[in-house]
Amino acid sequence: MITKETIDNFIDKIPPAPDALRETLMHLNLGDLTKAAKSASQDKALNNYLKVLVNKPIYGFRNEVSDVSQIFGILGVNQSQQAVYNYMTMLLSPSKWLLFKLNRVLFYNLQADLSVNWQKILKYLEIKDKDISSAISLLPASIIVSEALFCNKKKDIDILRSVNPIDLNTILKRLTGLDLFDICEQIAKKWNMPESISQILQASSGTKPSNDLELNRLGKWMHLLLFYTLSQPQYIEAELNDFIDFQIEYVNEIYDEFSELMELS
Amino acid sequence: MRAVLKNGVAVFTPQGFLDGSSGNALLSIDDIKGTIQQNADMVLVSLKKVIFFNRNGLDSFVKMFLKVRTSNHAAVGFCDIDTKKYNAIIKFYKDNLTFSLFQTQEVATLFASSYKNDTKNVLLYSEDKSQRAAMAIELHDNGHNPIIAQTQKEFDEKIEAENSYDIIIKDTYLGQMGQKVATRVTGNAIIYTISSFLDAEIGNTFNISYHNNSLNVGFRLFIFDAYKVISMNVHALNFFSKLATAGAEYNATICFVGLTFEKTPKEFKEILEDSGIMFFDQMDDILQNKELLKELGASSAANIKSKRSINKGTVTELPSFIEATVSTIEMMTNSKAIKEDVLIKHISIDKKEGKIASSIGFYGDLDGMIILVFPTGIAKRACELLIGEETDDNELILDTLAELVNIVGGKVKTLLGDEHISVDITLPRTYQDIDSLFEIVQNKKGVQVDLAFNDDKFLFFLTR
Repeated sequence: MITKETIDNFIDKIPPAPDALRETLMHLNLGDLTKAAKSASQDKALNNYLKVLVNKPIYGFRNEVSDVSQIFGILGVNQSQQAVYNYMTMLLSPSKWLLFKLNRVLFYNLQADLSVNWQKILKYLEIKDKDISSAISLLPASIIVSEALFCNKKKDIDILRSVNPIDLNTILKRLTGLDLFDICEQIAKKWNMPESISQILQASSGTKPSNDLELNRLGKWMHLLLFYTLSQPQYIEAELNDFIDFQIEYVNEIYDEFSELMELS
Repeated sequence: MRAVLKNGVAVFTPQGFLDGSSGNALLSIDDIKGTIQQNADMVLVSLKKVIFFNRNGLDSFVKMFLKVRTSNHAAVGFCDIDTKKYNAIIKFYKDNLTFSLFQTQEVATLFASSYKNDTKNVLLYSEDKSQRAAMAIELHDNGHNPIIAQTQKEFDEKIEAENSYDIIIKDTYLGQMGQKVATRVTGNAIIYTISSFLDAEIGNTFNISYHNNSLNVGFRLFIFDAYKVISMNVHALNFFSKLATAGAEYNATICFVGLTFEKTPKEFKEILEDSGIMFFDQMDDILQNKELLKELGASSAANIKSKRSINKGTVTELPSFIEATVSTIEMMTNSKAIKEDVLIKHISIDKKEGKIASSIGFYGDLDGMIILVFPTGIAKRACELLIGEETDDNELILDTLAELVNIVGGKVKTLLGDEHISVDITLPRTYQDIDSLFEIVQNKKGVQVDLAFNDDKFLFFLTR
């Protein structure tokens, strides 16, 4: 159904990060928001994306923000880098979704929901590292990879899952030896993303705990955040709720804190 | 979301956080209709992967439970609940707990009317005396041996006795159970448990498609355990007469055990006997009498007088059947499957040792049966996508092979549907050795196709 070659072809086709983006990220890395905004303004699609993203209600800005330098100024270095990485992930998304009932707007919303709540978690955990902040931006890439690899196999997947409640991540792992998160790691490498991003993402799969206690803790929070987000009705209707397996035991120890932070009754 | 149906039990497995809005999103009207159409004996919602729920979230599923039970008389409930979840649900629904709660899915299936595994020794305890009694009765009707602990202390003491019980039940509550006729398999006989007053409702509570599937896959002896029947009326009489007549085509025998005619008209017995139904006082009068079992067709799984042959209509659609099999094997193994040889003949298997098989029937515009025969090691490889890990557990391999042939059946249904041929598929059946398969198909002609993937050979046989 899906082979290692299918995955290699998919990775090969992913373009490297455009020059303007690399420059933007380099300036953000140095903490220079002005130069970063100047580089970012060369890429019209990035400008437009940032404008749409930060004006989502979940970001909570009262007035519309439209200028890149203004956006970067409001977001600060950490969230600006996170937003740029979100844009890079979005570049991989298909123009038409076939496996999941997603569209561009809903995917943007998903990115925004994850990003804002991830910031909330990091604030609670008193973590200010910008790479950790950006780690969340790669998580939706797992959804894009699922779509790319399984979109022409929907009927087969439906029949398979009608007799066995197996998730896409497990199917991929058993067929190819690689799972969605391994593929996301390869994407991150191709885009020269910091290694800690991949490590947190791998831990967030819930099936590959990290030996680094801190990264593992962040993986737990991210795994739980993912399922908190995918339990929202719009994402359930998009059929995202069970694309990977929820590892409830993995997150049990942080559930009470999470529940309090998200004000669950 | 859709439920996964296995052995007559449909299971929903929601994940994450379950509140009012997510509950409504998880279950659409079409999902509920689909569940009703599955006609399962039991519908469960597993809370194993739900970390948070509230009453509104559960309500979506509880509404579905009511609809399914009204339509299908199925047992319904939540399963995979720890003590914390159990107590929360009891608290939410304290005055209106009409559904069941099962500690695990394994426990739930003990109460499913078509649960067909071996008899289990079950230790059970509930604080509620009536619950203890209700559970014991249901378990007994389903062919298990319940052992009741009357107190928590007794329960704790009994648990200490290692290996004494196959399953231990706690944190379980039986709501209104399904009204379907309990079914169990003993050897090559199927036993239905009926009770109280039998009237026209028996047509709804008796799972006729299960019965027909059983006929199609070769069962010939059907026993109604009627010890607890008080009386029957003329509608029930007609139902059983028709059932016996319909079974005659397959040379099947229907027996009643323990039925008294104190409150049922005596002439009913003669009418039923005229239909071919036999009466016995004790279950052991049949099950312990090997000569009688042989005579009744239960010494083997099949004893068909009217052998049916493969026909032109089925052969014409052979490409769809092979395509469904080949594409399923390719999907499951990620390797190319090759058709090697096609012959119309009686099934022939060179070496019987170390091989297992599975079959699935189909009926509707076309009818017949697909059989797949694998060397055990190759079956493991064919099923490795579903099994996921190395195993020598033969029961697991057979169980997974049933899933595989179920997928083949699903694909056949889809492919024939594309050609406007409507068929339904039966439950899959597995055979742990070739002798038990031969009891079904040895004298049947069909299309035998030798197939291979990665040089591993297996056999496809299509017959009626």
